Amino acid sequence: MKNPEKTETKASFAREHDMTVGEIGAANLRIQCRGINVYYGEKHAIHNVSLDIGRNEVIALIGPSGCGKSTFLRCLNRMNDTIVGCRVSGEITLDGQNIYDSNLDVVPLRAQVGMVFQKPNPFPKSIFENVAYGPRIHGLVASKAELEEIVEGSLRRAGLWDEVKDYLLHPGTGLSGGQQQRLCIARTIAVNPEVILMDEPCSALDPIATAKIEQLIDELRNHYTIAIVTHSMQQAARVSQRTAYFHLGKLIEVGDTAQIFTNPKHQLTEDYITGRFG
Amino acid sequence: MQKSTLIMLLLLFSTAAYYLGRTRSLRLVGGQIRNLHSLPAYYGYYVALWCGIPTLILFFLWTALEIPVVTQLVMADLPEELRSLPADRHSLLINDIKNAVSGHVAETKPELQAAVQHFIRLNSLGNWLLTGLASCVALGAAVFARSRIHKDQRARNEVEKIIRIFLVGSSLVAILTTVGIVLSVLFESIRFFELVPITQFLFGLEWSPQIAIRADQVASSGAFGAVPLFAGTLLISVIAMIVAVPIGLLSAIYLAEYASPRFRAVTKPLLEILAGIPTVVYGFFAALTVAPFIRGLGADFGLDVSSESALAAGLVMGIMIIPFVSSLSDDFINAVPQSLRDGAYALGATQSETIRKVVIPAALPGIVGGILLAASRAIGETMIVVMAAGLSANLTANPLEAVTTVTTQIVTLLVGDQEFDSPKTLAAFALGLVLFLVTLALNILALHIVRKYREQYE
Repeated sequence: MKNPEKTETKASFAREHDMTVGEIGAANLRIQCRGINVYYGEKHAIHNVSLDIGRNEVIALIGPSGCGKSTFLRCLNRMNDTIVGCRVSGEITLDGQNIYDSNLDVVPLRAQVGMVFQKPNPFPKSIFENVAYGPRIHGLVASKAELEEIVEGSLRRAGLWDEVKDYLLHPGTGLSGGQQQRLCIARTIAVNPEVILMDEPCSALDPIATAKIEQLIDELRNHYTIAIVTHSMQQAARVSQRTAYFHLGKLIEVGDTAQIFTNPKHQLTEDYITGRFG
Repeated sequence: MQKSTLIMLLLLFSTAAYYLGRTRSLRLVGGQIRNLHSLPAYYGYYVALWCGIPTLILFFLWTALEIPVVTQLVMADLPEELRSLPADRHSLLINDIKNAVSGHVAETKPELQAAVQHFIRLNSLGNWLLTGLASCVALGAAVFARSRIHKDQRARNEVEKIIRIFLVGSSLVAILTTVGIVLSVLFESIRFFELVPITQFLFGLEWSPQIAIRADQVASSGAFGAVPLFAGTLLISVIAMIVAVPIGLLSAIYLAEYASPRFRAVTKPLLEILAGIPTVVYGFFAALTVAPFIRGLGADFGLDVSSESALAAGLVMGIMIIPFVSSLSDDFINAVPQSLRDGAYALGATQSETIRKVVIPAALPGIVGGILLAASRAIGETMIVVMAAGLSANLTANPLEAVTTVTTQIVTLLVGDQEFDSPKTLAAFALGLVLFLVTLALNILALHIVRKYREQYE
């Protein structure tokens, strides 16, 4: 493996040293990443990133476009496997289990680590079927009543139940953008994951829908570990407890959200959050 | 002068007119192109079109009117006894003269000699007249158009307007041809329905179109009940779809979801070659290879299979339409957004669960549309069934018997010496009309479904 430092020295804002600023460890450890490198073909997308994510916390991944934050997120449930030419090296453990172990089946992993995407992507099925899909394929339910219970519970937790309870058999694609995104969140939590990854979940939504989702994230924190990629620094500040700043495929700084936004230790972080670039 | 030479000359004129217009526009602004409204080439096209179009119109009008006019003149000069002939002899006479003019007959009747000479003279005079007139029009129009050029003239807009008219004209050709075919089939069908009641045609159970041409001939009564033909068409098409839909769909799923890009790049064109095999080749493959094989196989099981069976024709037709199903299904499976697959994977769905529960349902409208298009293709297919399905109009659902189809009957009705106003030949048009309506309905339905599907993700 080539040394990532050598390839980056020409950039004007090259890092002075390889170490991430701040505390990468988390209390109540759930996911541990060590030395993650990601390549898309020849392109080195993520350089040697190490980061821990703890139980019941929301961690925000911020940074300018193309900095690798989404790529890093997709490593956590091996969604990068679906991309042709993508290679991941390093070690990621979920509750002590290496998820890149060649013996590990990726299917139960993804049931444990759910994901919500940037663009709402409800299946072209009814609202009910959208939520029921996951529990069905995993055989989580024995009876129709149980399934209905899970669907209602998931929609309630996603804050969508009151809006759609009379339209459960209508197509999920007929909902508004914000409702679709909450439907996708309901769909994700219906399989009862332990971790939820969110890849810019609000970027396609208006402020009111965004506020609802942010409130939802705050409530979900009690049950799940959440990692959220966002372009909105206000959003990161509002919903997260810890924040990680990525730049050109490297993890520059990580720390408590309050500290990152009020007293960043790295120059690049400060430049980004004060809006000097990005 | 020959007409082809004249066309060349006119092309030359137009080319010259192009340079004329171009140079003129450049000179008007002293080479400063930016002072012109349009690029210089447009002024060239403008003059060239002005030069070419009126001349071409003149040319075609002249060519269309020349022969009748010349004929009239020649006939007017014929001796009295020839002019006063009855109408049918009269037109024979005209034919004789025309044949003599074009040199298709060895010797001319002496009384027509003068008329032939006259015809040739008038014709060549006409050609020279046309050449002169066309040149004058071309030159005049070019000079006129050139004099109209000034620097603010919107040459580009005018040229593009003319081009647009050409485009409309081209699309009209296709549409009008279709309308013409439909109308001619429709009128002949109406003539048929005057001889045979439409209810008997649509609901009659017996088809035996051999009727006596002369009173003393022995022939069947002539029954025009088309139900056995529709049933035969349906039977063969259903067999074809039973073959093509599963194979086509499954291969599409494999190609779109599982195959490596390299395998796909090789296999997809290979599969599409199936669509490029001439149907007559499929036809004799069905008749000479598949049908005997099925009969032999049937004999082993103690089944009585006729040598021209619906099964053989249907199987081979099914192979033929596999690419229609697989290619369209493949396109629609690929059109399902990756985000939907990601959504399913992120819930922990396996690849096969994703395909069965998300991708296929999402692509289903498109796949159905593709299947309907393949079905309309199967119904209209002629060559395979002509060669492999047989001619006996059995009303049966047994695929091992010989059946006949609408297309086969149309072919047999029209092949050979026929009177073109007997119910037998006219029946072909009625069958054609029904076939056209059915495939049209299927196509419209299929396109409608496909379009609705396309809108879903936009």
